[in-house]
Amino acid sequence: MLTNRYQGLWNVLKILAITLAVSTGLILACGASPFEAYALFVRGIFGSFSSFAEIFVKACPLILTSLGCAIAFRTGFFNIGAEGQFYVGAMATTIVALYLPDVPGFIRIALALVAGFLCGGLWALLAAFFKARFNISEIIVTIMLNYIAINFLGYAVRTFLMDPAGNVPQSAKIAVEAQLPNLINSTRFHAGIVIAVFCVLVVWFLIEKTTVGYELKAVGLNQRAAACNGISVMKNIILSAFLSGGLAALAGGIEVLAIQKKLMESISANCGYTAVLIALIAGNNPLAVLAVAILYAAMQIGANSMQRQLGVPSAIVNIIIGAVVLLILGKELLSSQRKKQADVQCN
Amino acid sequence: MPILEMKDICKSFSGVYANDHISLSAEKGKISALLGENGAGKTTLVNILFGIYTADCGQILWRGKPVNFSSPKDAIDAGIGMVQQHFSLVQKMTVLDNIILNLSGNRFFLDRAAAEKRIVHLAEKYGLRINPKARVCDLSVGEQQRVEILKALFRDVELLILDEPTGVLTPQETAHFFEVLRNLKNEGYAIIIITHRMSEIMAISDQVTILRDGKKIIDLVTAQTNPSELSRYMIGRELKENYEIASSAAGGDLLILDQVSLNRKGKTHPLHDISLHVRRGEILGVAGVEGNGQKELAEVITGIQKGYSGSVFLDGRCTNKESVRKRYENGVAYISDDRHRDSLVTDMNLTENLMLREYCCEPYSRSGIINPKAMLLNANRMMDEYQIRASGKSGAATAVKLMSGGNQQKLIIARELTVDAKLIVASQPTRGLDIGATEFVRNLLVSQRNEGKGVLLISADLEEIMALSDRIAVMFGGRIAGILNREDATVEKIGLLMGGVTGKEVEQPC
Repeated sequence: MLTNRYQGLWNVLKILAITLAVSTGLILACGASPFEAYALFVRGIFGSFSSFAEIFVKACPLILTSLGCAIAFRTGFFNIGAEGQFYVGAMATTIVALYLPDVPGFIRIALALVAGFLCGGLWALLAAFFKARFNISEIIVTIMLNYIAINFLGYAVRTFLMDPAGNVPQSAKIAVEAQLPNLINSTRFHAGIVIAVFCVLVVWFLIEKTTVGYELKAVGLNQRAAACNGISVMKNIILSAFLSGGLAALAGGIEVLAIQKKLMESISANCGYTAVLIALIAGNNPLAVLAVAILYAAMQIGANSMQRQLGVPSAIVNIIIGAVVLLILGKELLSSQRKKQADVQCN
Repeated sequence: MPILEMKDICKSFSGVYANDHISLSAEKGKISALLGENGAGKTTLVNILFGIYTADCGQILWRGKPVNFSSPKDAIDAGIGMVQQHFSLVQKMTVLDNIILNLSGNRFFLDRAAAEKRIVHLAEKYGLRINPKARVCDLSVGEQQRVEILKALFRDVELLILDEPTGVLTPQETAHFFEVLRNLKNEGYAIIIITHRMSEIMAISDQVTILRDGKKIIDLVTAQTNPSELSRYMIGRELKENYEIASSAAGGDLLILDQVSLNRKGKTHPLHDISLHVRRGEILGVAGVEGNGQKELAEVITGIQKGYSGSVFLDGRCTNKESVRKRYENGVAYISDDRHRDSLVTDMNLTENLMLREYCCEPYSRSGIINPKAMLLNANRMMDEYQIRASGKSGAATAVKLMSGGNQQKLIIARELTVDAKLIVASQPTRGLDIGATEFVRNLLVSQRNEGKGVLLISADLEEIMALSDRIAVMFGGRIAGILNREDATVEKIGLLMGGVTGKEVEQPC
């Protein structure tokens, strides 16, 4: 066991070294000094209180969408549709926040977010339905649903949701009392971040401490055995799809109510796709999702400061994340190969 | 002079010897048997010969010259053929195409006509009747085995290795198969047969090599030995043949199946008009070659298989509409033939797997919140009671995939045989287990019966069925071919039923 732990640490170090080498190479290739770049990277993150708070602003949608992916993946429901569910949630939340002007602020916020959660959950359930009824892979269905949701939002902000006061493709501004409040002055640290962390804790408790989590895990690891022992596979897939979609949609709703204060295109900044990677890196563990999402956001903030001041493209963060995911998956491939060899000897 | 000599072969996997200085030889015109329990190292040894593994030390002499095959292809080219336990045939291709697949002499344009001629000739010569144009997926298991043998013969092998060849055959098919082996032997082929069945060794082999725990125990000449000596060497003690079966005190009917049928779209009926009953205090054995509806029968009773017609009664109540869980709560326990697929979540640990049935009951959880202490307590108690061995350090937290087959099976039995169980559906409960674990499981089934519970024992192992059952039902083609009382059951009768000869014809042999 101990050697295993050292092995794990060693693997992390190896991945870190490769990451550093790749990024240094990329920085050198665009003619900048790596030392200066890294100094700016660190200063970007810890330079000021507001930039540090910005990490959590960036992390908030990532935490919720990745959490959704993690739940789905654990149950063997490969939901690639967090992006689409995010948009569905953003739309539903916007509609409720805009069209219930007489409801008091706090209740309106709650209603808007719940509506977003429900709509996103139902949107994901469509994929579960296709899987159950027609045996079509949920991967394909959720990707198709992404196209529909993303483009429907584009349609909505140009037609019935378009701000009557302007001719830009975006909705009217959400009234101040229906916005999620800032919690720390002179930063963008908002109440949605607290909601996200709270969701992490709830999901962690659900997965680790309750019979619901036990069922989800059993279904995810061996559907057939779960069914043979009397656990309903369908019920659990539906539940995990609903929660998964709901959480991604909640991210969309919070982004509208706390950051943009209106609905517009490309509001997700692709966090629904990044979420898949974060869930993979975190091994679908809710607490690890929180950590990885924050780390990812920090890297993004650091890279942005590099880009602003040195002209080093912040895209290198995404290159590195891609490389890290490949390394992690590669490691799993290697170890499963070893497992296979170990299995052979038993025959 | 032996055509093959393997000398002092060693092979270890992560420090554990699977083969510890084992020697084996084979001669032309002779059949050598390799005998040993599961995990004795038989398969490892022939896999080394066949180029699948490389030996750590030792020497292989083939026709007197040292060789070292790096792949099965090398071994085949040198003249060694092997029929694996699990056949390696392409199901959707014809017999002919399977046989000429990856032949070294193949040109860009295949000469199928010439190949077919040769196959027909070989098949006639050795009694391996087969239609070269049939697709493999339409063949019975016995016929598929013939294809595998023809595949080897077609490649002009001189040594044929057969790994557990009779496990899937009916007694009649086995008899025919032995005829084929004798023909091959008389033609001068060297044959190595791997098995753990004494009767077959006595019937067919000329010499026996016995392995135990990766070591060679002894070489014997078959004519000078007997089954009890063989089993003594193989397991280190005598086989226990008799179980304490209290005289049949069978009570009323516990389980009744009334005209149960199962249809699948476009296919034949997996189950056809099954009517049977299991009484309290009785073991009903279900014999039959695998794939004749036994699995479906078990799943209809446990509620996993839905959409059947007819009725299943437990304790006089119709259970047709009840879910898997409801039936379990009413006393239906299930030991599946496929541990890894049906019974265990191998990536979860021992404690969690013990809870698959009862995680939602008190004290293991209360209003949806899991109580890990109660679960651990239960796990430790079960490990004690059923002698489940897990890794020393992690104990009850050991991942099930790291446990041995025997201990996995004990885990399942510990979970299923609760006080409330009334009917135990046990499907191949001792498959893949060593002698010790097998006896443990069989004794438990018998004691359940003696306590007044009903047991439905599905097994492809005739010895097991005959040793344990009060009555024996034989399945063939999704039907009950016949039900025999313990006193009337002979291997002969059961064998005929397994081969599809109906009950009436058994009564009146022609």
